[in-house]
Amino acid sequence: MNAHDRTVTHAASPTAVITGIGSCLPPHVVDNDTVVARGALHTDDAWIRDRTGITRRRHADPGTSTGDLAVGAGRAALASAGDHRPEMLLLATSTPDHPCPATAPAVAHRLGLGTIPAFDLAAVCSGFLYALATASALVRSGTSSTVLVIAADTYTSIVNPADRETAPIFGDGAGAVLLRPGTRDEPGAVIAVDLGADGSGSDLITVPYGGSRHPHHLPPPEPDARYFHMQGRTVYAHAVRRMTQSAGSVLRRADWAPETVRAFVGHQANQRILDSVGDRLGIAPAHRFGNIGELGNTAAASIPLVLADPAVHHGVAPGARSLLSAFGGGLTWASVALNWPAAVPRSEAPPTDLDTTPLCTPDLSRSHPWTASTTTS
Amino acid sequence: MDRVYDHLVTLLADKFEVDAERIGPDATLDDLDLDSLAVVELYVTLQEEWQIPLDDSAAVADLTVADVARSVSALLDEPASGREAVQ
Repeated sequence: MNAHDRTVTHAASPTAVITGIGSCLPPHVVDNDTVVARGALHTDDAWIRDRTGITRRRHADPGTSTGDLAVGAGRAALASAGDHRPEMLLLATSTPDHPCPATAPAVAHRLGLGTIPAFDLAAVCSGFLYALATASALVRSGTSSTVLVIAADTYTSIVNPADRETAPIFGDGAGAVLLRPGTRDEPGAVIAVDLGADGSGSDLITVPYGGSRHPHHLPPPEPDARYFHMQGRTVYAHAVRRMTQSAGSVLRRADWAPETVRAFVGHQANQRILDSVGDRLGIAPAHRFGNIGELGNTAAASIPLVLADPAVHHGVAPGARSLLSAFGGGLTWASVALNWPAAVPRSEAPPTDLDTTPLCTPDLSRSHPWTASTTTS
Repeated sequence: MDRVYDHLVTLLADKFEVDAERIGPDATLDDLDLDSLAVVELYVTLQEEWQIPLDDSAAVADLTVADVARSVSALLDEPASGREAVQ
C-alpha cells in the first residue's frame, strides 16, 4: 500500500488550506552568457535556452545561506496570511546551512516563533510537495492547527560552476505557504496527494562526498565528488515517467479529469520535461504555469515560487482545480491536487539583519562579510 | 521488423516533426536533428507505445533508425510478444 492509497479525500473531510504564500529571491540576476563565461563552459545562450528553457536565474551572494532565504520566504508567507501564528515549521531543503543540526529550528528562532517544533525534510526537488503532504496530514489529524511550510535551496553552494550539465540549470530561492484547517470546497484546499520513491536510482542525483558514506576526514572518491552530480538524460526519462504516473494517480484520487485542470504547475526542472509531462497528461498549454525561464531550477523552492509569482497568481482564479507535480533526487516524486489559493502572495528580500543563532558567530567573515568589515574598520 | 520500422517513421514524422523524406534506415537520429533529450523522449515514447523495457541508457543520437527499430523488435520477439503499438 502506498501513500496514495492511504489518502482520505471524502467530500466532508476536513483538510488543510493554504492561507498565505511568500517568496524570497536573491537580487543578483545571472544570465546565460555570465554562467558560460564563469565556468568556461563549452556551450552558449542558445543551447541552454533550447535544452532547458532557462534564460536567467538568481544567485545568492556570498554569505547568504539557505536559512537566510527561508527566513525571508517565511516572513513573506506570514505577512500574506495576516493574523496567524504557526504552531509548527517544516523546511524542505537539500542544501541546509550545516550538515548538523537541521536549519528549520534556526529559521523558526529568527522568525520569532518561539519554541515551536521545527524540522528539515529532505526530498530534494520533490521536497516542497513532500512537506506540503506531511504538513497537511498533521493539520488534518489535529496535531498542529497552523503549519508554516518553507522550501529553500541554494544550489550554487553545491554545483560545480565548470559542470555544463548542472551549472546553467540551477538558481537559488525560497518559497513558503502557511496551512490552516479548512474544508475541501475552499480556495487553497489540499484535495489529494500522491508520494513515491525509488532508491535504486539514488546515484542519478547526488553529492557523493561529505556524508557518512564518504566522510570529510577521508579523501574524496573522485576529485569533484564534493559537488552536486546529475545524470541528465537518464533523469529526464525517469522524471517524465514518474511525474506523469504520479499526476495521473492524484487526479484519479481527486476524481478530476485532466481536461478540468485549470493550472498545472510542475517542478521547474527543465522546460522540455514540463512540456513532455503536460502533453502526456492532456493538459492544454494555456493551463500550464511556470517561471523556469526567469528563475531556472530552484530545487525544492520551484513550485512555491510559481505559486508566489504575481503573473501566475493573476492568471488563475481562486478555487480553480490545480495540479502540482515534482520529481527529484532519491529518487522521489510527488503530486498534489489543490484548489488554487485565494491568498495574495508576498515577497521579501533576503534578510539583512544579523543571523544571531550561535552557529553563525564563529565565522562571521564568511557568513556576513558586510558585518565583519564594519566591525574591523 | 517492418511494422516497427514503419511505426517509427510515422512517430519521427508526427511527434518529432522530421521531414519524412529524410528518414531512411541508415539515417542516424543525429542526422534527423534529434538532440540528446529528444532521443530520450523518443525512447520513453517507444516504451509507452510498445509496452517494452527499452534501456534508457542506450538512447544515443548516433543510433540509426534501423538500429532503434531492431532494439524494439528484439524486445517484441521475447515471450510476451505479438503486441501492437498503443496509440
